Parts: sequence; C-alpha cells; structure tokens
Amino acid sequence: MVIGGTTPPMLAGCENRLSAVQPAGPAADIIATLWWVMLGGAAAILLLVLVLLALAFRRGGGPSDAAADSRGEAVWIKGLGLGFTMAVLAALSAWGLWIGERLLPRPGPGVVAVEAQGRQWAWRFSYPDAPGRVTEGALHIPAGRPVDVRITSADVIHSFWVPRLAGKLDAIPGHVNTLRIEAWRPGEYAGVSAEFSGPGYRRHHFTVVAHDAAAWNAFLAGGTP
Amino acid sequence: MTDKPRLTALRLHKALYPIWRNDPGWKGVLTTVNNNTIGTMFILGAAGMFLAGGILAMLIRAQLASPRSAFMGPEVYNQIFTMHGTIMMFLFAIPFFEALTVFLLPAMLGTRDLAFPRLGAYGFWCYMIGATIMIVALLAGVAPDGGWFMYPPLSSSAHSPGINTDIWLLGISFIEISAIGAAVEVVVTVLRYRAVGMTLDRLPIFAWYMLVVAVMILTAFPPMILGSLILELERAFDMPFFQAEHGGDSLLWQHLFWLFGHPEVYIIFLPAAGVISAILPVMARTTLLGYGWVVAAAISLAVLSFGLWVHHMFTTGIPHMGLAFFSAVSTLVAVPTGVQIFAWIGTLWKGRPRMHLPMLWIMGFFVTFVMGGLTGVMVAMVPFDWQAHDTYFVVAHLHYVLIGGYVFPMIAGIYYWLPVLTGRKRFFRMGEVAFWLVMAGFHGTFLLLHWAGLLGMRRRVDSIEAGSGWEGINLLASVSGFVLAIGFGLVVLDVAANALVAVRGRRNPWNAGTLEWATPIPSPAYNVASIPVVDSRYPLHDNPGLPVQIARGEGFLGHPTRNRRETLAVSVSGARPDFIAVMPRNSIVPFAMAVVTSVMFMAPVWKGWWLMFASAGGVAMLAMVWAWAGGSRHDEGLLDAGRGVTLPPHTEISHPPGWWGSLFLLLADAVLFGSLLFGYAFLWTVAPNWPPPAILEPGTGGPALAAGGAVLACGGIRGADQAIRRGRAPWPGLVASLAGLAALGGAAWTVFGGTTHDAHAYDATLWVIAGYAVFHAGVAGLMALFLMARIRAGFISARRCGDARVVRLWIDYAALTAALGLGAAWLPGWLA
Amino acid sequence: MTDILRLSLPLSVWIAAFSAVYGLEGIVCSDHWAAAGLSLGQGRAALLVAWAAAIAVQVVLLAGLRMPRFASSLPGVQRIAAILAAVALVATVWSLLPVAATSLCL
Repeated sequence: MVIGGTTPPMLAGCENRLSAVQPAGPAADIIATLWWVMLGGAAAILLLVLVLLALAFRRGGGPSDAAADSRGEAVWIKGLGLGFTMAVLAALSAWGLWIGERLLPRPGPGVVAVEAQGRQWAWRFSYPDAPGRVTEGALHIPAGRPVDVRITSADVIHSFWVPRLAGKLDAIPGHVNTLRIEAWRPGEYAGVSAEFSGPGYRRHHFTVVAHDAAAWNAFLAGGTP
Repeated sequence: MTDKPRLTALRLHKALYPIWRNDPGWKGVLTTVNNNTIGTMFILGAAGMFLAGGILAMLIRAQLASPRSAFMGPEVYNQIFTMHGTIMMFLFAIPFFEALTVFLLPAMLGTRDLAFPRLGAYGFWCYMIGATIMIVALLAGVAPDGGWFMYPPLSSSAHSPGINTDIWLLGISFIEISAIGAAVEVVVTVLRYRAVGMTLDRLPIFAWYMLVVAVMILTAFPPMILGSLILELERAFDMPFFQAEHGGDSLLWQHLFWLFGHPEVYIIFLPAAGVISAILPVMARTTLLGYGWVVAAAISLAVLSFGLWVHHMFTTGIPHMGLAFFSAVSTLVAVPTGVQIFAWIGTLWKGRPRMHLPMLWIMGFFVTFVMGGLTGVMVAMVPFDWQAHDTYFVVAHLHYVLIGGYVFPMIAGIYYWLPVLTGRKRFFRMGEVAFWLVMAGFHGTFLLLHWAGLLGMRRRVDSIEAGSGWEGINLLASVSGFVLAIGFGLVVLDVAANALVAVRGRRNPWNAGTLEWATPIPSPAYNVASIPVVDSRYPLHDNPGLPVQIARGEGFLGHPTRNRRETLAVSVSGARPDFIAVMPRNSIVPFAMAVVTSVMFMAPVWKGWWLMFASAGGVAMLAMVWAWAGGSRHDEGLLDAGRGVTLPPHTEISHPPGWWGSLFLLLADAVLFGSLLFGYAFLWTVAPNWPPPAILEPGTGGPALAAGGAVLACGGIRGADQAIRRGRAPWPGLVASLAGLAALGGAAWTVFGGTTHDAHAYDATLWVIAGYAVFHAGVAGLMALFLMARIRAGFISARRCGDARVVRLWIDYAALTAALGLGAAWLPGWLA
Repeated sequence: MTDILRLSLPLSVWIAAFSAVYGLEGIVCSDHWAAAGLSLGQGRAALLVAWAAAIAVQVVLLAGLRMPRFASSLPGVQRIAAILAAVALVATVWSLLPVAATSLCL
C-alpha cells in the first residue's frame, strides 16, 4: 500500500549518485529489476493479508466443531500457509539463484582485472595490465567491458560498493574477493565503503572512472587520466 | 453454600502463605526466590532498559535529522549506536520475554514455582548488575563503539585499544548467564512441573513456544559466548584467532557471531508469536485453529533458524553455492511463519473477534510484521542483498520485524495479563491514543528509510550529507521518531497508572481457558493452592468450577502439613504424578553469588587476573553452599500427595531435578564445545597462512594418560553409584574417579607444554581445547569431592542416591569432551 | 522424553546434514581438495551423494515415525511428529538443492 505510492516523486530532483535503483551497468540493472518485481509482489501479498484480516471482522463467526476446524486447517494452513507461500517462495528463489549465477565473475574474453585494497580510510587501486600503476581514491576501468575487481584489505574489514554498477563485496584481511562490475557508458560513478570501520567510516569514499576505449588505452599507457 | 468453600480456601491460603512468602522488608528483595517477585522486578528492569535504548535512539535521530549535524562527533555517535543495538537486543528484548515467562509460566502450567527458584534469582541479579555496568560505562564515555556485532579486526586490540571492547565482551557474556539460567529453568519446568493430566498435546500454546525458545537459547548462545571468550583471549594474551597473518581469520568471528545472531532474531520473535497464539483466540472468543500445525511451525522455525546464519555474510565472498544453501533456508523459514500468520487469520475467521486494546496491538503487529517479513524475503535473495546489505534498507527491515514482531505483541501481552500481574482492571484509557501515536510514528520513521537505503544511505554513518537525496526522508524519520517515542512514553504511563491506582478487577476478565486465570489476582506467592488435574487444553472452559476446586485444595498437595515448599513433578509426556519436589526457601546466596560473579567477569577488563581467580574460587564456594542447602539426612519414604496418592520426595528418586537441570546445561556446554571444534576445522580449511609452522607432537604419555584417565573416571563413578545403591562403601570408586579426572587434566596439560599460545591460531585453538578439558575435569573433580562430603554428612543413602547420578553425568561429560578434544588436538600430529 | 526425541530428531538430522554438506562444500572449494589430487567434478559428485544420503535418511525417519512401533502414544504428539518429519524431508530437498543447481566454487 504505502510503499508503492512513495517511490516516483522521490526519484525526481535528487542527486542519486549512490542510488542502487538508477543502474548504470548490467549487474545493478538486473538487481534493480528484481527489486521492482519483488516490491510489486510484496505489495500484492500485503494487500491480500490486510483484506483477509479486515474481512474477519465483518463476519458473524463460523461454526467451531471438529469438522469446521479441519476444513479451516485445509484452507488456511495447508492452502494459504503451505501451498501459497511455498509456491511464491520457490519461484522467487529460483529466479534469485539464476540472477546470482549470472552475476558471478566467470572467466571470459575481454574481462579486465583490477585490484582494490581498502584501509582506514582510503582505497588504493592497482592494475595488472599496467604494472606499477597505482591510483588512490579513483578506480579506472574501461566502459562497456566486464571488470573483475580483486578486493582485499590492509587492516580492518571494509566493503567495496559502487551502487550504480553492482552490489557490494567485502574487503577482508587475508582474503581476496572478486567482484564483477561493468559500466555501460564512460563517466564517473560514486563508490563508498559499506562496512563500518571506525571514526572515519563516513568519509571512506572513492570514485570509479569509466573510460571509452581510447582513453582506457591512454590510461594503461601511463597517461594522466 | 458459597461460604464453606471460601472458608476452606482461606484456611489453605493462611497455611500456604507463611511457607511461600518473601522475607519482610528490603531484605526480602535481596533474598526472594519467588517467581512472581523476580518476574516483576525483571519486567521493570527490562522496561527500564527499553527506555534507555529508546533515549539513545532519539539521540541517533537527532543527529541524523539534518545534514552535517554537529550534535555529536563520530567517537560519541559510534558509542551511541553500538549501545542502542546492544541494549535493545541483550538488555531489553531477551530479558523482557524471560521476565514475562518467569512470571506467567508456573501459574499457566498449574504449578507453584519454576523448577530452580534460586537459579532464577541468580540470573536476575546477574542481569541487573551487568546492565548497570553497561549503563555506567555508557555514562562514563567508555562504552563499546565497534557496533553491536563487534567484528574483528576492528574490535581487536590493534584497532580498539581501550577498555570499551572488553566491557562489551565480558559484560555481555556475564549477562548471558541470566539467559542460559532462565532457559534451563523453563525447559525443566515445562517438561516436569505441570498440572496432572496436562499431557504434551494439552500444553498451553505459550508454554510450547517458550519450551522451544528455551532450547534455542541453550543452543544459540554458546557460539557467541565462545566467540567473546576467544576474542577476549586474543585481546588480553595475543592469541591470534582472528589475525590473518598468524593463521587466524576474522570470518571465524562472523560465523560464531551469526550462528548466535540469527537464531537470536527468532528467539525474540517466537515468544511474541506465543503471546499472539495465546491472546488472539481469547480475543476472538474461540480456540486456536490448527494447534498441532502451530506447534510444528514453531519447532520448524526454531530449527530452520539455525540454518541461515550465513545470510548475514552474503557479501563476504563465500562461493555462490554456499550462499545459495543459506538463501534457500532463508526463504524456507518464511513458510512456517506464513503458516502461523494464516492460522491466526483463520482463527479470527472462526471466531467473533473483539477489538479490545490487546487486539488493537495485535492488528498493529499484523500490518507491521507482514511488511517486515516481506522485506526479509527480499534480502534473502542473494543478489538483492548485495545491494541492500549494510544500508538503511536493512535498518528499516529489522525495525519492522523487531518492533512490529516483538514490541507490539509484548505490549498486547502486558495489557492482556495486567490483571494477573497487578490484580487491577484497566481504568485509564490513554492506551488507544498511545497506540495510534506509535503506529503513525513508527511507519513515519521507518517506511521511507527503506528507500533511503536503496538511494545509498549506509548504516552507521555518523551524519548525512547535503545533496545526498536523503535529507527529506531523514527529517521526516526524525520527527516521526519523536512521535513514536511520545507514543511509547504514553504506553508506559498508561500501564503504570493502571498498575498502581486502577480499581480492583475480577478473576478471568477475558473469559480465557488457561490456568493462569484460575488463580486469585494478583497471583499469590504459591501461585496455586493445590495442583489441579486437567483433561483438555482449555480447562477453565470445560470446568468453570476449577478455580474454586484449586483454592479449596482439592487438587494435589492441597494439605501443606510438612511446613516446607512443595510442588508436584509429573512425567514428561503423559503428565502423571511422579514425585514431590521440595523447593528452596528464601536465600541471600543467589544475590551474593551474582555479585562475586560480576567481579570475576569484570576483573579482566583491568587485567586483574588474581582478583578474577579469587572470585572464581568464591563462586565455587558459594555454589557448594547453594547445593549443600538441599537434601535430607534421613529417608522419608513415600509421602502423602493428596487425592489418595503417595509419592517419593525428589531426594529419593534416581534422576532428581538437579540431574535434569545439569542435562540441559550440558546441552549448552556441548554446543559450545562443538563450536570450538567447528572453529578449529574452519580455520584449518579456510583461513590464510595454514598449515602452521609447527605441529604438536602427541607422544605416548599424553594419549595414554587421557585414555586411562577417561576409563578410570567413568568406571570409578559408576562403581561408586552402584555401591551407594547397594548400601556399600563408595570410597574406592570415588577415589578412582578422582584419580582419573586428575589424569585427564594432566593429559590436557601436556598440550600447553608442546605449543606456544601466541605463535599461530593453531596453537591458540589447541590451548583453548586443552583449557576446556582441564576446566571440566576440575569442575567434575570438585563435584566428586562435594559428593564425598555429602556422603560423610549423611545426605546419601541407598534411597537418597540422586546426587551421585548428577555427579556421574558431569564426570561422563568431562571425560567424553576431553577424549574428543584431545583426540582432535593430536590428530594432525598422528597423521603427519 | 522419548516424545521430545520424536519431535526433535528429524529436524536435528536435517541441521546436521545441512551443516555437513556446507562443510563439504567448503572443503571442496579449499586448497586441500586440489592438493589431494581431486577434481571439481569429483567434488560435485561427492556433494550429490551426500545430498541423496541425507534425503534417504529423512525418508527412513518419516516412514519410521509413522510405524505403530515407534509412534507416540499421544495422538497429538504423533501428528506433530509426522508433520515435523515431513518438514525435515522437504527442508533437506529444498535447502540442498543448490548442489545440483549452482556453479561450484565461484
């Protein structure tokens, strides 16, 4: 009910640099679609429950013998409680699983690898395609190509999150986690650390700069971005 | 006609009251072991913590009301949000339902008190002292500031050097004693202390829920206690459990924390569901639809909730198949929730619902909790969680679930049971206004915060930024938050006014069918004047004369001639009379022990190791004083239990209440031990920088000592047990058992010699395993010595042999875990 | 106490099997699996076998709890036990379905 009514006006007039529902890449896009579908479904289920609840007060009360109870159990518990919820959840789980599989960093042609290291409170990025190249606070990637970000941490746990491109993945000391991101178009995308890391947590920002092919080659060749 | 039964009832009350009443005056507060008194104090304490947590929430909303607020800096803000979460979860939510249960359960089951009254008092005092310490720490500015989840390495000494984190780890572990104690009490009470004829399938539905919740507490808290213990060991002695460079792994903490943390959510929700299942049919003037299904749903929910802890770790880089397992269970757990929701709606359809105040709050529950459940299914979807995790979407979701799914039903419960608690009927009518303020304030605060989360607002940021697009939502949330606070304030005022000055009410105003409404209101110290006999789930509906029969002493134990606190224990399943339990009298020991225990837990904060060991000795001494107080020096034989039945006292049965309590305490202990072995295996498989540079050489001496010790310890106590039963001398067996325990401790000690505690996570883990074995051998040894003293003092005979069984259980457990733990410690050495 | 066992056994077996399969998946995806000379294909096979075994155990429990010899004497408890055994079977199938449906170690 209320959820649905609030969304469109809020979209207008905001900066939305960190908006997960304003996707700028395929991963964020498919997750945003998942969200809108789930929102619609949730609103419908909420409405159903509220209507059933309201109707309970408009009736005079049913019979309460054993036969009526077993009819009630068949409708309410086996039908709605088990049948309805399991059908909805099975369908949703299958879809969620399928999407999850599509977002995994599978090896493939044209995948670019970059490295990200979080620390209190900065990000350092390096590029296997340009050995020795290190940037602080800005990650450079080619637009329109899948990029695998290999994420780790130098001190406490952080999380690498560029909401308009993809979901987040944690930077954990001693581990390297790989996140697949991709930007459709060249541009700058805001990123933040999304795991609480102490007093400087709020300012733990970075930027992802997506280049067209020419600018990317120039970056790799050592040109200043 | 009505005079005579009333006279009999009054005479019975006059006989029971002096036996069961508290000590007079202030002393009575400290020495009480009565469930009604402790329940009331517990409710007040937990409600006070709700107010404290609420004040912190208001500070948070004040800070976030406008961009770049200069109200608090991050150092203060981090303490505030950490303590808000900690207080609400550990000091309010769990204690509050425990308090309600402590109060209601005996009356509801038709018995006179909980199974272990002194344990209840001890738990309550541990809670009150621990909560006070946390609040003082907050006021002193040394409150924990690493988030209520305390993730290392942020919470390790390198990144959090102050005492803040130690206060959290030790303080919360200390407070958890009260949860474990209450859980043991509830399990044994529900299983053994009920009205005669109240078989398992006639158990009041609330009692079913609380049985399930109590078992969950026993199995969910230990991983967290272990996590706190080893994090504290890392902080104090540099044992590197969570340091990647030394073979530790910060993910181990997350596993242990969420192994507790997710079941915790259901530990909080299920009591609320139990309250609804108890109240809603009464409000609808009918019976619960699908009793068996609802019980099955509660049990399913409980067990399934142990299979979704990783859904708090979807962003930690675990392979997708692993995430998919937990995503699948996270959706599956919604099925029993759905079954309960629809069973309740079906109950409303079946009956003729009345919109009294408790029902109004239940309606608030439905709207709010269903929304929270639906967003819960959303975040169970792995890809969506990758976006929503650690944003205000999750903050909004969890407040929908916890406030809608817990606080609202608990308020319904308070209003519903207020007559039992206070003896008064509701007179002041602020409750309705408060309800609507709370509803408007709640949804105004949290509904749009979902959206702020999707717009990128992270949890735990200490202020919002201008131009972020969240300013409007946050201002609305802050204003609504204060409306919500005023609403809750009015609830408290309304309840207080009705509790203190409203008019006296009559018994059973709602026309309910369960036994807590059969007692006079407010319920007397002994709860029931005699133990009733029931033959259905709603005994008051089938037999409206039951309250009078109980009051006249027509049930069991209706003739208190032996001048001691007696109640009836029944068989687990069929609820047939089994034995007479003699309950302890008022005692200062629980309070004293709680004080000494608090010193034991708090001394390590300031590295006061000697003080810690001294107070541990004090706790052991007090525990023996405690255990010494029960029992009898002569055989009593079969006693008159009323209604023509004779039963033995609890001292003369083979498995006394202490054995049952030990059994469930050891269940919790076993889960802790299992978590320890899990941590060992986890580090070995997943952690970086393994295998360790040096592996422990088992040798032959250690394993031989362990094997011989285990056989001797278990064999010796068995011999002693049999000797006691046959009236022969138990000394050889007991001495052999003690020698066996000493050998086990010695075997474990060899591990300390072969490893260096701070060299590698492997060494550190082995130290904890060996320490566990030494500790349990020591405890079992002390118990064996205690048994020897009891035998010498004449408390043990061929009939009075239950104590030996209790000691045997502990010795068996110590031997088994030592054998398993040391075997696991030596295994790599044997394989290499 | 036997009735408590009847009610708790199937789902306890589920949580044990679930944790064991999750642990096995952890081992398959760890360095130890490759170091032992085993392939990911063999890992998948091991997981599938474990899943099938878990289902088989649940089927046995479900059938056993319906037999008069093992069923509770209280009709209410008997019914709850039967529901819970069915829940445990469904949970085993549902929760471990990913061993057949998702990628391994990505």
